[in-house]
Amino acid sequence: MISRAILAVATALMVLAFGTSSFAQTDCKKLVPASPWGPNDQTGATNRVTPPVTKAAAAEIQDGKVIVMSYPLTDGVPLFGSRFSKTILTATSLAPGASFGENELTYMEDTWLSQSHVGTHLDGMGHIGRKDCYYNQIPMGKFITQNNMTKLGLEHLKSFATRGVLIDMVKVYQQANKFKGNSACKKPCLEKGTVITAADLQAGLKMYNVTLREGDIVIIHTGWGDLFEQFPAQNALYNSGEPGIGKDAATWLISQKVVAVGSDTWAVEVIPGESPKEAFIVHNMLLTDNGIHIIENVRTDLMAAEAASSNRATFFFSMTVPKAVGLTGNFVAIEGIR
Amino acid sequence: MRHRAPAVSQRDRRRRSVRRRAAGLAALMIVGAWLAPAGAQRQYVVAFANLTEEPGATVEGTGFTGREIRESFVLAARAYPIEMVFYDNQRDDARAMQNAEAAIARKVDLYIEYHRGAANTAIGEKLKAAGIPVLAVNYPVPGAPLYTVDNLAAGRVAGEALAQFALRSWRGQPTVAAVIGNLSATADRVPERAQGVTQALGQRLPSVRVTQVDTKGNPAQVGPLLGKFLAAHPTSKLLFAATDDATALAVKAAVESAGRVQDTAIVSHGVDRTIHGGMNDRREIDPANRGSIVIGSVAFYLDRLGYEVLPLAMRMLRGETLPARVTTRHILVTAANVFIEYPPYDMN
Repeated sequence: MISRAILAVATALMVLAFGTSSFAQTDCKKLVPASPWGPNDQTGATNRVTPPVTKAAAAEIQDGKVIVMSYPLTDGVPLFGSRFSKTILTATSLAPGASFGENELTYMEDTWLSQSHVGTHLDGMGHIGRKDCYYNQIPMGKFITQNNMTKLGLEHLKSFATRGVLIDMVKVYQQANKFKGNSACKKPCLEKGTVITAADLQAGLKMYNVTLREGDIVIIHTGWGDLFEQFPAQNALYNSGEPGIGKDAATWLISQKVVAVGSDTWAVEVIPGESPKEAFIVHNMLLTDNGIHIIENVRTDLMAAEAASSNRATFFFSMTVPKAVGLTGNFVAIEGIR
Repeated sequence: MRHRAPAVSQRDRRRRSVRRRAAGLAALMIVGAWLAPAGAQRQYVVAFANLTEEPGATVEGTGFTGREIRESFVLAARAYPIEMVFYDNQRDDARAMQNAEAAIARKVDLYIEYHRGAANTAIGEKLKAAGIPVLAVNYPVPGAPLYTVDNLAAGRVAGEALAQFALRSWRGQPTVAAVIGNLSATADRVPERAQGVTQALGQRLPSVRVTQVDTKGNPAQVGPLLGKFLAAHPTSKLLFAATDDATALAVKAAVESAGRVQDTAIVSHGVDRTIHGGMNDRREIDPANRGSIVIGSVAFYLDRLGYEVLPLAMRMLRGETLPARVTTRHILVTAANVFIEYPPYDMN
């Protein structure tokens, strides 16, 4: 009798345990699509950066010119919400008598207290989800600790050594006679709230006779980054909204099988968004549903000028992403090599 | 014998050439139309004549401004083949008529009229005579479909929320209620809001007496006015329906000063930016502030008016007949759903 009761209780507990587990999994399968790279994939779109893709991108290096595509990371730049970035210099070695050895070696180093999504930065797979469901249907509630994620961290990413393609939206809008700028920008910039469509992107590519290839990284120049460069004077305006891609453009970029989409804005997507009841929906579309990275606060003006002067909008995309275990993103350094 | 072709005058040759060119042009136009992308849409010019755009002036007895309303049309129009033309009626009949005349001269495709005044009838007739359809906002234009907030329904939502709270938390305890705000603002139909609250409370809590406290639009008067009310009910539980968000916050401050927080529940109307915030500007209705005595606020969505009205405008432009009256879907926004209804989107 007792053994029957124990068996019944054990069965009930097992049903509950497995039931709960499978319920969470079922939910994520409803909310997020599966990765095309298999159920164990934690990498996302950098799976597309294969040796042939990198080799083909190397053909973009024609004269060795290096174009800076990231902003300085320093106090006072615009930061999202309550984010912060602070450095503390350790320079005790400079005190009299504190140098080492006959050669009187001294040293300095830093403590860097910073959140990862600051300045020019990459959004990783663990950055954005629907409820607790993230890229590749991973129920992230099971894979987080107090310190980091145990799945989808940056350590799973492959190379970003691929072709970069700049799309100059300022020129597209100017040529189409639909340019509406913001007077606070010292150089032409699209106004915040401007929805960049798939047709706009296609017009920008046509302008430089470029066809996207699988594995490309698309960088969109809106001019809005001009306000970032004016930090801290224009931080409030920069943060108040931005021009950016809408859902139509995101859908098209997904169909082009790109690796990442970057822009000289803080969210890449249009703010205010197309629907006031959706929050950062393009982030969901690119990251959560398709594993395509987002790169924010990219410095695009120099490459836009370079493209305009040379009539070539493609370049070798060189970006350093630390193998930061369990992190959702990180600041990055980007150079476009021509 | 060879026949000579009849002599053709220079004028005839010119005529034939013109005919040939015209035929060619017509053929090109037909082919062009046939080749045009199926998705190519006609662009419409839609006028929106706003109630007022006076800086800082609020509308409809809420905290929303005319500028927010105009901005909502700018943003909403992004999704449609619409070029917006804006007018400011300045709460003035003569100005409203001038705006309608300007829109007629501009030959707009549709006129959205947001004006409260006797001129609405004449404006409607004038636009009708010009063949321009009218969509009225918040105040009727004879013969035009109307999109409007529903103050009575909003009040009922607020009253229902207060009643549910009282039944859940204070069942059997002595309870009194007050509707507080600019109750004399009949033009803004605030009394309808108060009526809705009273109806809902009366249905659910028939024994609870509902007092009306008129601030005459001055939230600074809330403290003194409530002082008497609170003193008169020292042991009762207190239900407050504020007719706008600024008043709700003033009520909260007053009951805090009187040490009556534990006895109080407040529901507001509007959901403007004074009561809900974004990423950083945490406000009263916030997921991190679920214990607030401000249970929630009934949404009026006036900052999204464009998103509500332009889909109706498009239906009219495409030849559909709209219902005579379409109303705002008022819901209670609380700490539990505020980020769903108003997701924070800016970095500030």
